[in-house]
Amino acid sequence: MITFERVTKRYPDGTTAVDKLDLEVPDGKTMVLVGPSGCGKTTSLRMINRLVEPTEGRILLDGKDVQQENPARLRRGIGYVIQQTGLFPHRTVEDNIGTVPVLNGWRRSRARGRARELLELVGLDASLAKRYPHQLSGGQQQRVGVARALAADPPVLLMDEPFSAVDPVVRASLQDELLRLQDELRKTVVLVTHDIEEAIKVGDVVALYQPHGRLAQVDSPERLLAAPADDYVAGFVGFDRGIRRLSFYGTADLDLRTEPVLGGDATVAKAAATGLPWVLVTDGDGHPRGWVPAHRLSAYPGDAPLAGVPLDGHGHAFTAGTDSLRAALDAAVLSPAGQAVGVDGAGQVKGVLGYDQIRAAVQAAETQAAASHAARTQAAGTQAAGSPASEVPPAEADLAAEGDRS
Amino acid sequence: MIWSWIPGNGALIWQLTYENAYLGVVPALIGLVISLPLGVAAARWRWVQPPVLTVVNVIYAIPALALFIALIPSLGLTDTNVVVALTLYSLCVITPNVAAGLRAVPPPVRQAATAMGFGAARRLLTVELPLAGPVIIAGLRVAVVSGISLASVGQLIGVASLGYLFIDGEQRSFPTEIYTGLVLVIALALACDLVLIGVRRVLTPWGALS
Repeated sequence: MITFERVTKRYPDGTTAVDKLDLEVPDGKTMVLVGPSGCGKTTSLRMINRLVEPTEGRILLDGKDVQQENPARLRRGIGYVIQQTGLFPHRTVEDNIGTVPVLNGWRRSRARGRARELLELVGLDASLAKRYPHQLSGGQQQRVGVARALAADPPVLLMDEPFSAVDPVVRASLQDELLRLQDELRKTVVLVTHDIEEAIKVGDVVALYQPHGRLAQVDSPERLLAAPADDYVAGFVGFDRGIRRLSFYGTADLDLRTEPVLGGDATVAKAAATGLPWVLVTDGDGHPRGWVPAHRLSAYPGDAPLAGVPLDGHGHAFTAGTDSLRAALDAAVLSPAGQAVGVDGAGQVKGVLGYDQIRAAVQAAETQAAASHAARTQAAGTQAAGSPASEVPPAEADLAAEGDRS
Repeated sequence: MIWSWIPGNGALIWQLTYENAYLGVVPALIGLVISLPLGVAAARWRWVQPPVLTVVNVIYAIPALALFIALIPSLGLTDTNVVVALTLYSLCVITPNVAAGLRAVPPPVRQAATAMGFGAARRLLTVELPLAGPVIIAGLRVAVVSGISLASVGQLIGVASLGYLFIDGEQRSFPTEIYTGLVLVIALALACDLVLIGVRRVLTPWGALS
């Protein structure tokens, strides 16, 4: 747990970078600090590992004031990832990753062994171990940066705009990778970004800064979108926050309609008999082929198979259960029939979903979210007293055991 | 050119080449050792840099012969005289490079090193100086090459070097000797330069692979 207690950072020229900040980062969660440039989010981050010293107030790491710690030792227990990677150009990938273990007194050969494990953990090929950083792509360098930060298995990971310097496709995959790693490792992560989309995607809790180092709102991404505290927050999260909020609502419980779905071997007459304005035609394997409007059917004999009728595309399908309501809505918008095609993991049609159903699902999800928020708020006191940190996932337990042998 | 003169005086030529190499290389290495703390200080503290760079530039402006003569009262007509003078010159080319090399270390790299728990000394020795290495070696190359060339001027105060061949050749109106000296000075400088390029390759494998 990281706790900011009325932390202020003023520079000699009088600028206040951070103003009486009170903030708690819960163990094993990802806290995203987001806000416009110059709002003090990076300064806040750097005060945790004492790259910047606060003017007033204190920062506690697991109850201990970081000001009282030896800076070098404190930092070796805190992973640090920055936008420009900061990889050592003169060291190979494996030696970059092994930096902190070597500082902690490991032999280089052992640190290199650990580096191999971490390469695998961050999804890089072991063959990259002997390369130099400049021989890697931007995305690979950033992964090495994450591996280096994790090498000594620190409980806390600080990430300063870690994905801002890579292109959007790579950024999305790095964000997914972070989510996957967090699932496995449960580090206490503080991530700074100016990108609200990123904050909403990777954060368990989002601290939204306003200029001059004050917090505008600290909340779950869902709540930030659903209930912005004021106009500033609403403006920052953007006009389409209503749509983006749908990302948090699942599609597992939806009742997909199957009446408009017919195989290609079904007849034109059967399609007409449904009385529906649009019919979705599937192929022999149950994959969607396309929509056909009712008026087009009249040009064909009743006993002709639907496979012979020209079809409109089906846009793209959403995967029922794993995709969010946002994906379902997107699929509906892009569909000529105004209906989303839901498929299962194998791509076979489970059914279709109209706007009316999506609207009902949104309402149901919102009622449920509001109820659970109210319950959480009520239970917050008792939850804080519990200790989620006592559950050590197997991967971490292994690493800890290895650390003990050193 | 009277080619037979060269093998006839092989021992003398070899001796002078060795002396010249010694006078060129040793001051540069001493200069490197002194330049490192000076350059580190100049890179570390902004106010140190202007006085240090001004002083070394002024020293560099002193003509070599004048410096040798100025050192005679304290050091006499000795090798040490030339070594001290050439060490001063080598400071002038190496110190600015040490400072420039250190300042060229990318700030994110320095910040990352600090954030991972390097102390200042360890960061300097294992991150900053290695990264400044190519620039420092570039300064060392200039110091060695100019030192080899300047060492021959030391002959004017009687310190043996390939400069002897120029003076003796001139006095005897014997061009062969002068050309031999000239070619050897250039060859020696080139050879030392190649060695230093090799050293840089070995010490900075990350650059060579690009």
